[in-house]
Amino acid sequence: MEFLAYFGEVFTPINFGLLLIGTIGGLILGATPGLSPTMAVALLIPFTFKLDATQGLILLGAAYTSTVAGGAVSAILLKIPGAPANIATTLDGHAMARKGQGARALQLSFVASAIGGVFGVLLLIFLTPILAQWALAFGPSHLFWLAILGVTVIGSLDSSSVVKGLLAGCIGLWLSTIGFDDIMGAQRFIFHSSVSGGINVIPALIGLFAIPQVISMFAKGRRSLDAEVLTVESHPIGEAIREVFRRSRALTIGTLTGSVIGLIPGVGGQIAGLVAYDQSRKMSSEREKFGTGHSEGVIAAESANNAMVGPSLVPLLTLSIPGSPTAAVLLGGLLIHGIFPGSDLFDNYPDVAWTFINSMLIGQILMCIFGLYVAGLAAKVARVPNAVMAAIVLGLAVFGSYSVQHSMGDVYVMMALGTGMFFLERFGFSAAPLVLGLILGPIAEANFIQGAMIANATSSIGEYFFTGLLNLVLIGTVVASIVYSIWMELRSRRYTTKEDAVAKEEATP
Amino acid sequence: MKTLIAAASIALMGLTGAATAQDAESYPERPVMLMVSYGAGGATDFQARIVTMTAGNEDALGVPIAIINKPGAGGRVGWNWFATQADADGYTLAAYNIPHFIAQSIEGGVEYSADSFEPIANWGADPAVFVVAADSEFDSMQDVVDYAKENPGGLTFSGAGLFVGHHIAALQLEKAAGVKLAYIPNNAGGAGAMKAVIAGEVLGGVNNLSDAYRAREAGNVKILGVFDLERNDFLPDVPTMQEQGFDIDNASVNFRGIMAPKGTPQPIIDKLAETVPAMFENARVKKQMEAGGSPMHVMTRDEVIEMWKAREKTLNELLSGL
Amino acid sequence: MTDLPRSQHIVASGLVAAVGIWVAYVSYTSEPARAFLFPRIISTVFVALALWTFGKALLGRTKVGIGLTASAVANILPGLVVSLVFVFWAADGLGFYTASAITFFILLSLYDPAPHHEVKSWIKRAIITAGFVVVMYLLFAMLLNVFTPREILF
Repeated sequence: MEFLAYFGEVFTPINFGLLLIGTIGGLILGATPGLSPTMAVALLIPFTFKLDATQGLILLGAAYTSTVAGGAVSAILLKIPGAPANIATTLDGHAMARKGQGARALQLSFVASAIGGVFGVLLLIFLTPILAQWALAFGPSHLFWLAILGVTVIGSLDSSSVVKGLLAGCIGLWLSTIGFDDIMGAQRFIFHSSVSGGINVIPALIGLFAIPQVISMFAKGRRSLDAEVLTVESHPIGEAIREVFRRSRALTIGTLTGSVIGLIPGVGGQIAGLVAYDQSRKMSSEREKFGTGHSEGVIAAESANNAMVGPSLVPLLTLSIPGSPTAAVLLGGLLIHGIFPGSDLFDNYPDVAWTFINSMLIGQILMCIFGLYVAGLAAKVARVPNAVMAAIVLGLAVFGSYSVQHSMGDVYVMMALGTGMFFLERFGFSAAPLVLGLILGPIAEANFIQGAMIANATSSIGEYFFTGLLNLVLIGTVVASIVYSIWMELRSRRYTTKEDAVAKEEATP
Repeated sequence: MKTLIAAASIALMGLTGAATAQDAESYPERPVMLMVSYGAGGATDFQARIVTMTAGNEDALGVPIAIINKPGAGGRVGWNWFATQADADGYTLAAYNIPHFIAQSIEGGVEYSADSFEPIANWGADPAVFVVAADSEFDSMQDVVDYAKENPGGLTFSGAGLFVGHHIAALQLEKAAGVKLAYIPNNAGGAGAMKAVIAGEVLGGVNNLSDAYRAREAGNVKILGVFDLERNDFLPDVPTMQEQGFDIDNASVNFRGIMAPKGTPQPIIDKLAETVPAMFENARVKKQMEAGGSPMHVMTRDEVIEMWKAREKTLNELLSGL
Repeated sequence: MTDLPRSQHIVASGLVAAVGIWVAYVSYTSEPARAFLFPRIISTVFVALALWTFGKALLGRTKVGIGLTASAVANILPGLVVSLVFVFWAADGLGFYTASAITFFILLSLYDPAPHHEVKSWIKRAIITAGFVVVMYLLFAMLLNVFTPREILF
């Protein structure tokens, strides 16, 4: 309960002011396509040079918290996930916004984010030493199986056909191998100079989600004004809060999955949202509503990606190992003030460490308040006419993907993938499994190669990958996931209502 | 009409010609971009952000330097871009890592070599060190080599990738000790390699001195030796490899600095070569670098040119045996 | 399912299969073999799944995917061409802000339902375009320090 003693620090005028700036700035940066939380935090580092250690970290902590949640805004309203963490949010969130329920989707996402986030930070406060061991438990073989588990989820994710889902996943896995391979440095599949650096996930993400949507808007043609008008339902905040708690299954699954997976260095943050989404769909009684604007989808995805924030810092704060790119940037923020994180951080610099953690706790709540405040306003985006919307999304996609690495190549990749994805979507493929393949490919490959090298030097590959409790548990889960997918495929061949909706919409003159 | 076009084109040529002459005079008049070929938060990125933080001061460049990250494949992605696509106008600079990019160009498969770049100045020298987990049975390099002799090819140790400083150090160690080791390159860079050591996935590791120093402060690792000619100020108690009887020089020391693409106008290079070392010497920069545990080593353009040449020679010899 | 989507499905899944076969060919013929181990595994599964899908399309058993109607294609084409020209040529050639202003205005003119013969609708389009470019400039150039390619006009 030591952290309670440092709550006062957060509320001094300067610190609280910085917390507000960090939160509001973070929401804006997070909502900007192309700006992942890592980029946003790195952008703020120069400002912390002039602040003292505590103040600098308050700013960074608040920004980290709110950029993750801010990503939901563009994911829901524009279908542009700002970072991999927000992919799952687009699936149902954007469908809700299209139905005029943008305000509801945003409110649900902010409330779920805050609950997940607070839980994650509490884990960080109370269970750090235990969690640190868990973070270290994942070696190459376990990360490999974890990635394979992700691959098995691919088939059933946002796709009405398991085969096409897997095929899209394979395309994503292949795309991830383009460029230099990370370990050997060999060049693979470089058929154009734009891809010589490999396919960067963020521009790919923007292209795969935003561009098909732009083209679909073109497909509706030049409509008369009357057909455009969409009533944006206002939605009482209290209702949203009640709904989040009523959907306690999605909330629990999201929060737990997010915090457990978020811990694992190098993997967690990117896939926590998707895994949580998939799990809560499998366990939901209203399974078939997922993907059509169902509130459980938004709640699970958003509670998971904010629950990840706290635990993702555990390896950094206790072992001095940054477990995610964002944690690496935060490490820089600590180092410039001469603070070395490690198991004695809380003894040597309790004021800095606890104030930082407390500011994330308060930051989650502030983020929720501001988010709820603007939700109703932001949801009006849905009323922007089609033509204007298409042009805005296209412009944002170009600027956003360029800003990641200042590279025209990324913009070309974004547009090429996006245009291809539009046609693929028309033939029953979907973007989410493709992106998941793109993310998981390097994790699976690098860990397989490292594991194989270690295995060759010490024991045998069979022993290294197939023995040990954690390996066996993961393999068991993989098998269960595959069996479940096959069973579901055989039992109920699902036909999406989403596609029918698109077809109907285009047919109306 | 024809004369009009001719006049216009002459005027245009005059304009552009004047612009290049003026460029060096008034350079820099807008913010400068510095490409770092490693991810945000890595040691190179972190140090680059500190050493350029005073760029906007009047006595330095007078304009801010913005860091752009182009990570991938041990730096190859960024440097390939820099050698082939960057504008040589003085507004696009990059951070270099020696021996990384020279070793990669010797190994082949990339579109750059030491001749593709113009060094500006060096800011840091981060030697490689050998680390083992805090609870490891190894207490000196001799213990490590003895184990390797009993288990040929069975001593697993991690490093940040192939053909980077850590890999060079590993090759030197194999050669000097006359043993076969199992070097496991990590795809997550130095941080990933360090995690592998602390988590016990591998028996030891080569890592950056700055990161290892921090990990030791946190009580996670033991540092057994420095791959350099002299002991380091941060670790006065850790002996060099030579002191422990291994003939290993400083070829793996990770030098970091700033370079420009080939073809950048000479006046601009001269201006940068003059102002940048002074910028690195700034007292605030030094204080923050030391606070972060990053060893500084400022070198001028001429010294860097010498150093690159010397490195290229040693690395050619070392890697030709592969 | 009508005939139009069926032949479309054959073409689409055929193209995907062709890509898969190319990937497999490159994976199995390139050196060093160690670096291509993972691509080989992926491409094998890729080809198997792609051929399965192609076979189903040939038999007319494809169950998902609505294909493209002639009217949808007619609607898409002008916008898509403008977008592709913008991304692949104009953004770099004319500068981001110039190119996006022009593209934005053209897209509005193509798809905005307001009547073309009224001056009012053109003024409205110009104002929206200007507003968009200003916001982009404030956000990316001023706030985030993004260096876009040189503008041709300024």
